[in-house]
Amino acid sequence: MALIDKHPELARYVTEREWFEFLREQTLAMIEIPEMQLQVKTLDSLLKMYGRILDAVENDKPFVSSYYCLAPELYTAMDLPYYMVMQTPFLASSVPYLLTDIDAAEEMGLGNDLCTAIRLSIYYVEANLSPLPTCALNLLYPCDGAPLLHEVIKRNERWRNIPMFACDPPYYSDDRSLDYFADEMRKMAKFVETNTGAKLDMDKLKETLEYSNQMFQLWDEYNQLRRNVPSPHGWGIGAPQCFSQAWVYEAGTPQGVEWFKKLVEIAELNVKNGVGPVPEEKIRLFWFDLLPFGWVFEFLPWLEEEWGAVMVMDMFGNFPYTMIDTSSEEEIWRGLAKRNLFDAPMVRQARGVADNFANDIARIVKDFKIDAVVWPGHMGHKDGAATVGIMRETCRDLSVPFVHLGLDLFDKRYSTPDQIKDKMSQFFRAMGLG
Amino acid sequence: METNLKSKAFQEFSNAAETLVNPVLQHWKDQGGKVIGYFCSTVPEEIITAAGLTPFRMRATGSTGTEESDAFYSSINCSFPRHCFNQVLTGDFKFLDGIVCVNSCDHVRRIYDNWKRFVPTDFIEMMSLPRKTGPDQVGWYTDELAMLKDKVGKHFGVEITDDRLWKAIKLHNETRRLQKKLYELRKQEKPPITGAETLAVMVAGTAMPKEQYNEKLRELLDELSGTEGPGSHRARLLIVGGILDDPAYVKVIEDQGGLVVTDSTCFGSRLIWVEVDENASDPVAALAQYYLTDRPSCPRMYGEHDNRAQYVIDMCREFNCDGVIGERLIFCDSWLVEHYMLGQDLKAAGIPMLKLDREYLTSGIGQLRTRVQAFLETMGR
Repeated sequence: MALIDKHPELARYVTEREWFEFLREQTLAMIEIPEMQLQVKTLDSLLKMYGRILDAVENDKPFVSSYYCLAPELYTAMDLPYYMVMQTPFLASSVPYLLTDIDAAEEMGLGNDLCTAIRLSIYYVEANLSPLPTCALNLLYPCDGAPLLHEVIKRNERWRNIPMFACDPPYYSDDRSLDYFADEMRKMAKFVETNTGAKLDMDKLKETLEYSNQMFQLWDEYNQLRRNVPSPHGWGIGAPQCFSQAWVYEAGTPQGVEWFKKLVEIAELNVKNGVGPVPEEKIRLFWFDLLPFGWVFEFLPWLEEEWGAVMVMDMFGNFPYTMIDTSSEEEIWRGLAKRNLFDAPMVRQARGVADNFANDIARIVKDFKIDAVVWPGHMGHKDGAATVGIMRETCRDLSVPFVHLGLDLFDKRYSTPDQIKDKMSQFFRAMGLG
Repeated sequence: METNLKSKAFQEFSNAAETLVNPVLQHWKDQGGKVIGYFCSTVPEEIITAAGLTPFRMRATGSTGTEESDAFYSSINCSFPRHCFNQVLTGDFKFLDGIVCVNSCDHVRRIYDNWKRFVPTDFIEMMSLPRKTGPDQVGWYTDELAMLKDKVGKHFGVEITDDRLWKAIKLHNETRRLQKKLYELRKQEKPPITGAETLAVMVAGTAMPKEQYNEKLRELLDELSGTEGPGSHRARLLIVGGILDDPAYVKVIEDQGGLVVTDSTCFGSRLIWVEVDENASDPVAALAQYYLTDRPSCPRMYGEHDNRAQYVIDMCREFNCDGVIGERLIFCDSWLVEHYMLGQDLKAAGIPMLKLDREYLTSGIGQLRTRVQAFLETMGR
């Protein structure tokens, strides 16, 4: 009996894997380009993750649903497969059936002003299109949408009896908050052990974190190279891949270290040769969010080709991290708490007070010689939408142009690619850029 | 507001609900009294009262636009904080001596960030409210409230002793008991007070010193006791939602024949259905326990949906409701998803539900009337 017949909840997951297998085949055709070699390795890591989940279901092995900002190194150390319930919006929103799924979510009664990523994820759970894990780690930050998604999950008929745990997020970023969250993470790890039978060996975790630290150190090196004019890479390689390797597919693995070494090597060569993604880099952009993965190919190449506008930095490529001190158990948990609650992308800006919206803009504009800051204004970022005044003021103080677009990162019908291109063009012209 | 109630006390409550600074509050200010505004019903008013100050639940009553706040917010933000912050910028809240916020929702929590940066204010605090309601979180919130108590005390030059706090808790519990008595009257077949009128009374309770409020409420209860209303309604309804502070909105519903006999809203029954434990050993811990765990929660709190749904169902049974109206402010994620789940729960319980989206300023009255009429008709009323 086919796996999907026995486990219909895997239907979407299997289709996604097939989509990525197709993308891998397409990427293989460009294998002579060094960056494409890295893309293939990224897709290999992703496919490995999909494979492990499907294998776990088929062979009744434990696996968890969790998130990038819930210490994925723990699952590496415990040799536990994990997947994100928000997988499709975050990793797979280039899939051809995305708009159909978004419409289905709306028809379910979820309206059209709730973040599309949350809506889609609720839809997949309610429509029995998400793998059913052994236990679930639910996310209560950075925004209102996250706990709401997990409230639906908690209530769902099929998920109701799955053991669940959620780390409670403090609002501030002080030592008291760090200790509180470190304690929550300890409890989370204990919960995973109890409910999966996997054991968290602290020596193994230490080793994993040391690989993780190496990956992050190399990522930092890579980001330093992106400060170069011209930047060695644009939107096509950089943040999404670095983030997905370090936080999702290869968190704390030697393969992840090798991947980053290769990335740095390629970037160093580009810097040495003075080459970047475009023949002439005219505008250096800071894109302050995820890339618009739902319609990325219809917009981002145009920015580079039409305007010479290179996305030098974005929210997920941003590097505020410090290395995790592995000298003691206490420092490990504090380090994990800091990385996952204070530093993780989007969590860093949206979870607590708005200071990081301003601070990150200020630092990135200076470090990366940014010509313009773009707040994409994704329709789901309600807290960010209420921070535009602060961002605008910060940019004014820095004398750097700021534009607020208003779009849906996943649904290109909300603001079409042509409308966004038009807005960007008007902005560039008005600011005398390009 | 239009009302059949002749009560002087009610007139004062109605006036308080229709303005920001009512005469009682003004008198308090004129006598040198101080007022602390707060967002969200998880901020313990008792701490403010214990400091000898008057707590004021933030509303945007009287706002006519968002021209000033549009520079800080976006079109995808809820209209409540946009109107409220607009009034902050135009000086309508100059009567406040301080403000206390919590991270209630994505829209409202950013009022703190914008206010702090752009509006010079001597006392502005933001507390860290947990998402879970377990013992560890009660411990966390106890510490948060203790810090707030210290900050309020230090800033306003008053030592908030346990005695003062217990006194405030008893006073606020008395308010809750009196308000609950008002709700009990609405269980009658012909309630002597409408939902719109009740909302005016509840809103007024967040806008004046509790001693005076309680006195007036006792007066109103005396007047209403033993009386009944016209009983001309077609159906008995429960309203569930967030920050509904405009009696005019409820009146539109009731003018169609749907009498709102109870609710689960931010200015309504969730504030009063249980009391702070006066037998606890530590008043700050008692407040944390109450505000985080004991009281019916709002959808911001994780893991509590089943309890919230049961609360609504139990209320419907207790008040003999024919149906439920779920209202939410457009762009409110919390109530969108809550109503999505609640709709399924109520369907399973055989209770009809109408979901309504609205803007903070009551508008679209024609459409509202039509939808409520249609709802009543589908219920066979």
